[in-house]
Amino acid sequence: MPRRTARTALYAATAASTALLAAACGPQTEQVESAPSSPSGSAESDSASEAPASFTAGEYEATGSYQTPGGTQSVDVEVTLEADGTITDVEVDGNAEGGNSEQFQKKFESGIDAQVEGRKITELSIDKVSGSSLTSGGFNDAIAQIIDDAQA
Amino acid sequence: MWAFDAIGTRWRIDAPEPIDTAAVRAVIDDFDRIWSRFRDDSVVARLRTERTVDLGSDAPAILGLYERLDDLTDGAVSPAVGASLEQLGYDAQYTLTARGEAIPAFRWRTARRDGSVVTVDQPVVVDIGAVGKGFLAQRVAELVGDPVTVDASGDIVHRGAHPLRVALEHPRDPELAVGIVELAPGMAICASAINRRTWGDGWHHVLDARTGEPTRDVLATWVVAPDAALADGLATALFFVEPERVLDEFPEVGCAVVDATMRIRAARMTGEIFR
Repeated sequence: MPRRTARTALYAATAASTALLAAACGPQTEQVESAPSSPSGSAESDSASEAPASFTAGEYEATGSYQTPGGTQSVDVEVTLEADGTITDVEVDGNAEGGNSEQFQKKFESGIDAQVEGRKITELSIDKVSGSSLTSGGFNDAIAQIIDDAQA
Repeated sequence: MWAFDAIGTRWRIDAPEPIDTAAVRAVIDDFDRIWSRFRDDSVVARLRTERTVDLGSDAPAILGLYERLDDLTDGAVSPAVGASLEQLGYDAQYTLTARGEAIPAFRWRTARRDGSVVTVDQPVVVDIGAVGKGFLAQRVAELVGDPVTVDASGDIVHRGAHPLRVALEHPRDPELAVGIVELAPGMAICASAINRRTWGDGWHHVLDARTGEPTRDVLATWVVAPDAALADGLATALFFVEPERVLDEFPEVGCAVVDATMRIRAARMTGEIFR
């Protein structure tokens, strides 16, 4: 049941992924968004036709890449995986340097009218990008690669 | 987390409970079978040859929203814009070569709608690109159930426990953001930008239905709203109407607009604009 286990791992990876994004942006961020309780439940929704499989515990590395008009960008992801698919440690490298921990929360109820000053997305503490999904696509690719590598 | 491709875009669903992936797929497939402009066998494609077509149970919500957008934009946003898009080459084959001069869309106001049944007096190519993805993302989120976050390539329905930090992508450089929105649980954010899916002589997919020509003045818009279909539709409307007007008529939404001079106007959102 490779699929089933893969999804279990993906599920476990969800918690890691938000931690990843937070980790990518420096120690002061508190952006862990979802905290799944246990990876075991996610297998229930899978069909019985899939065959079982397990993970080889250990450290895995993968690089996710994505295209931008400026060229190919990449993000390196390293995870420590238990045999049950739980990710116990995670590291991100590459664009993760220079984390911007000075995030302000401001309401702009009354309105802003100004010239845009862009900031590097990789230096922001964020969960998602709206307008394009290039970065998260690269990230997803990296995770998918890890899952593939980890299947015994 | 579950990531997959559907209706020409990348989807990602985050949920702590198991996702019934078959049910999600079925909802998306049904939607595509009814509404896709790129399928000859879709229900909506019948309006190319038939005068009266029943567009199914989602039609009142989708077309009702389009009627509001039509009013708001004085006809610039229309579900009949498909023929104008095809004229410029944005068709099922992605020929991306104009067949001739831009053509205005069929005036949707002249169509008759009785619930889900639409009657037209000429062939119409329906394209619900302005609200379809948001509508479907909302539908998927409701199907999965709380807590869940559905991300359909930047159109995001957030029903998680904590606010989601969403970067607003710079319309001229995807490595940059123009701001961050703190998306509260229960809210959706949708973007519309003309930096993707461009072809030809600066053409893109946001057309003024009254002329069939691509818009030029606005580069990117975002809307935060309690419903993703509304957010999606208003994000397109903001290419044609001032944000003040949208905010006046839709008190439940916030928005941000970047124009061609890189001026940003934003209101009623929580977060930060970089300036």
